[in-house]
Amino acid sequence: MDWTRYRSSTWDELVASDGQPRPAARPLLDYLSSLSRHELNERQLAADVTARVMGITFTVYSEGRNVDRTLPFDLIPRVIERREWERTAAGLRQRMRALNLFIGDIYGDQKIVNDNVFPRELLAESVNFRPQCVGVKPPLGVWAHICGSDLVRDADGTLYALEDNLRIPSGVSYMIENRMVAKRVFPELFDTSAILPVDNYPTQLYDTLAALSPRPGDTPVIALLTPGIFNSAYFEHCYLAQSMGIELVEGGDLFVGDDDICYMRTVYGPKRVDVIYRRVDDMFLDPEVFHPDSVLGVRGLLRSWRAGKVALANAPGAGVADDKVVFTYVPKMIKYYLGEEAILPNVPSYLCHDAKDRAYVLAHLDELVVKPANESGGYGMLIGPRSTKREREKFRRLIEADPRNYMAQPTLSLSTAPILGNKEPEPRHLDLRPFILSREDVFVTTGGLTRVAMQKGSLVVNSSQGGGAKDTWVVDLEEAA
Amino acid sequence: MLSRVADNLYWFSRYVRRAENMARLLDVNGQIQLDLPRGAHIAWRPLVNTLGAGAEFERLHGEDTPTEVDVVHFLLVEPDNPVSLRNVVNHARETLRTVRETLPQDCWVAINDLHLYIESNPERAGSRRHRPEFLGRIIDGCMHVSALLTSNVSRDTGYQFLRLGTAIEQADMTSRIIDTAASGLIQARSDDDAEAFQAMQWMGVLRSLAAYQMYRRQLRQKVSVELALEFLLKNREFPRSVLFCLSRIQGILPQMPPRKQVEQVFRGAMGLVFDANPSRLAAVGPCAFVDRLQQELSALHGAVHESYFQA
Repeated sequence: MDWTRYRSSTWDELVASDGQPRPAARPLLDYLSSLSRHELNERQLAADVTARVMGITFTVYSEGRNVDRTLPFDLIPRVIERREWERTAAGLRQRMRALNLFIGDIYGDQKIVNDNVFPRELLAESVNFRPQCVGVKPPLGVWAHICGSDLVRDADGTLYALEDNLRIPSGVSYMIENRMVAKRVFPELFDTSAILPVDNYPTQLYDTLAALSPRPGDTPVIALLTPGIFNSAYFEHCYLAQSMGIELVEGGDLFVGDDDICYMRTVYGPKRVDVIYRRVDDMFLDPEVFHPDSVLGVRGLLRSWRAGKVALANAPGAGVADDKVVFTYVPKMIKYYLGEEAILPNVPSYLCHDAKDRAYVLAHLDELVVKPANESGGYGMLIGPRSTKREREKFRRLIEADPRNYMAQPTLSLSTAPILGNKEPEPRHLDLRPFILSREDVFVTTGGLTRVAMQKGSLVVNSSQGGGAKDTWVVDLEEAA
Repeated sequence: MLSRVADNLYWFSRYVRRAENMARLLDVNGQIQLDLPRGAHIAWRPLVNTLGAGAEFERLHGEDTPTEVDVVHFLLVEPDNPVSLRNVVNHARETLRTVRETLPQDCWVAINDLHLYIESNPERAGSRRHRPEFLGRIIDGCMHVSALLTSNVSRDTGYQFLRLGTAIEQADMTSRIIDTAASGLIQARSDDDAEAFQAMQWMGVLRSLAAYQMYRRQLRQKVSVELALEFLLKNREFPRSVLFCLSRIQGILPQMPPRKQVEQVFRGAMGLVFDANPSRLAAVGPCAFVDRLQQELSALHGAVHESYFQA
């Protein structure tokens, strides 16, 4: 494979602007250079077959039926140097500590609001604020046990936090499986580089969940609550349940008794459940409290949780901090709760509810990315530099009608990494989703899931919109030397 | 073991066993057809009732006498027939999908493969030339799944539900296949012929249940109605005989959470088969007996459903 002509228009994760490999990527690029095109194609084929055989799929609803698709996997890993990763992980731990304190405060005394650090009106208008959660004190004071934060790197090399997914983040199974594929395809490389492992996640997740049990001392009964096979992340639900050895349940498998205890229906009769890792959205969790016609949830589950009879991860209401407007306050939260400066900078943001910011956004719609506060999956966004006049006019009206629900960020020139193109390696934009587990201490995955836009020039990395994935290597240069 | 998971495992193994028996039944009838003298032919229509799709068939085809192709197409690949073999395999696949994590990955691959084969070759079912290969492929696919279950699944509670499903389904299919012969499969030209065709018919039944060779080895006699019924209902060694399937269930029940209702219904079914008198059944015709047997099996299914899946 020939790297001499490979250049990116922005920061590239593997190759510096002078065409030289970055130090952590050098063994990888040397190795790739030594392979012929034919050998690379063979490896890509082997990777695709491995992914299919292992059944690494996500579900797409199309033409009236569900089909399993494999997530496109690009062979060339993304490489991060260990020292950089340690700084980033420290930044993520700091963010999570502050975010959990924030959520607990919002459902408790609301000190941050009373001290005028966080505007009261933002809370009043938040669609993810759950009045049912006020006054609840979940175990260890943790609300968001599992978080997937999206990080992006700008042209100057700065790594920014883009958003924190605190509701039901997905993708971690791909991170683990991508590594399994890479090990099968590139066994030679794992000898030459000190690549840190990622497969301890299920153990860490199990410990995080087990720590929540209302019956400490006994082996807890833990279940993963899935919306079922039609959910796009069903594969991941199966995968995680299997790797932790916990039950995979649907709403209909559970019920809450008059004693407020949550049970699952088994062939031996009802069995008490202590901890539920729920992959069902808040609004569908309990028809007694939220959407009354939801069949995905469990009647009375909130009652059981409030009574402390069952633990839910993430706790209902944790999404109050997963909102693109609330996100902009994270550096202030870190300062307020921890008395520290944010280690990991936020992507600069403009809030449309603020008159000055709004005027700026409306005047610069063609330069900014405008996002609704509560959409996920890359939907409902305006990418200014690529938009038409009509789209910009539509967003002008949307923002003026509901300013609280919109925020804008400069169009970052997302960093790239090479993918295996048809002839030569080609740069594609990417982001990184590390997963953070909070209990008494905070655990961060080694690296995370690298999502890559497979289309040339595209900035949208979501799997639902044609994105793919890469294995992510955190490489220890000191150990290798 | 979650009730839903047990329910799905039970049905998965039932569907796989049902698909295999359907494939055998249609394969054998196609072969008998070829051996018949001109003027005599297989009455295909009764197969539809035997497999429980009479009403659906009438809705699609009216009451005219259907052709071989009509019936075979309907039973094997008709998408609108909820119990066509194609849909049975589909149900097996969809059932397994929801409990995929409980069985070895190979099972999913195998059933998926079978599903894809049927979906891409439905036209082969209709053609006399291609049908044996098509059905052979289905029988092999089902046997492959059974082998994976037997060899690679831990003998936990879930496994008992798989075995229970297989045993109940086989007992049920055996009774249904007996019924096809009893209801006069071959339409003869005259009464004299009918006598001659009788043996042929019961040989066909034995073959449909992969029982002919075992019958010969054990009994060393030509096929008679009485002996065929004795063999298929009460033989203790042949794994597709009704008594064998029930004995298997007798072995499974103590390994499951005890339920009085299931045990009681089971004893009823066992007693019925135990008391059956093949020579008398051969004389009066086994239809009424087969009806009662199916009611007992259906009650057994009902008891299992209520006791374990609707807890």
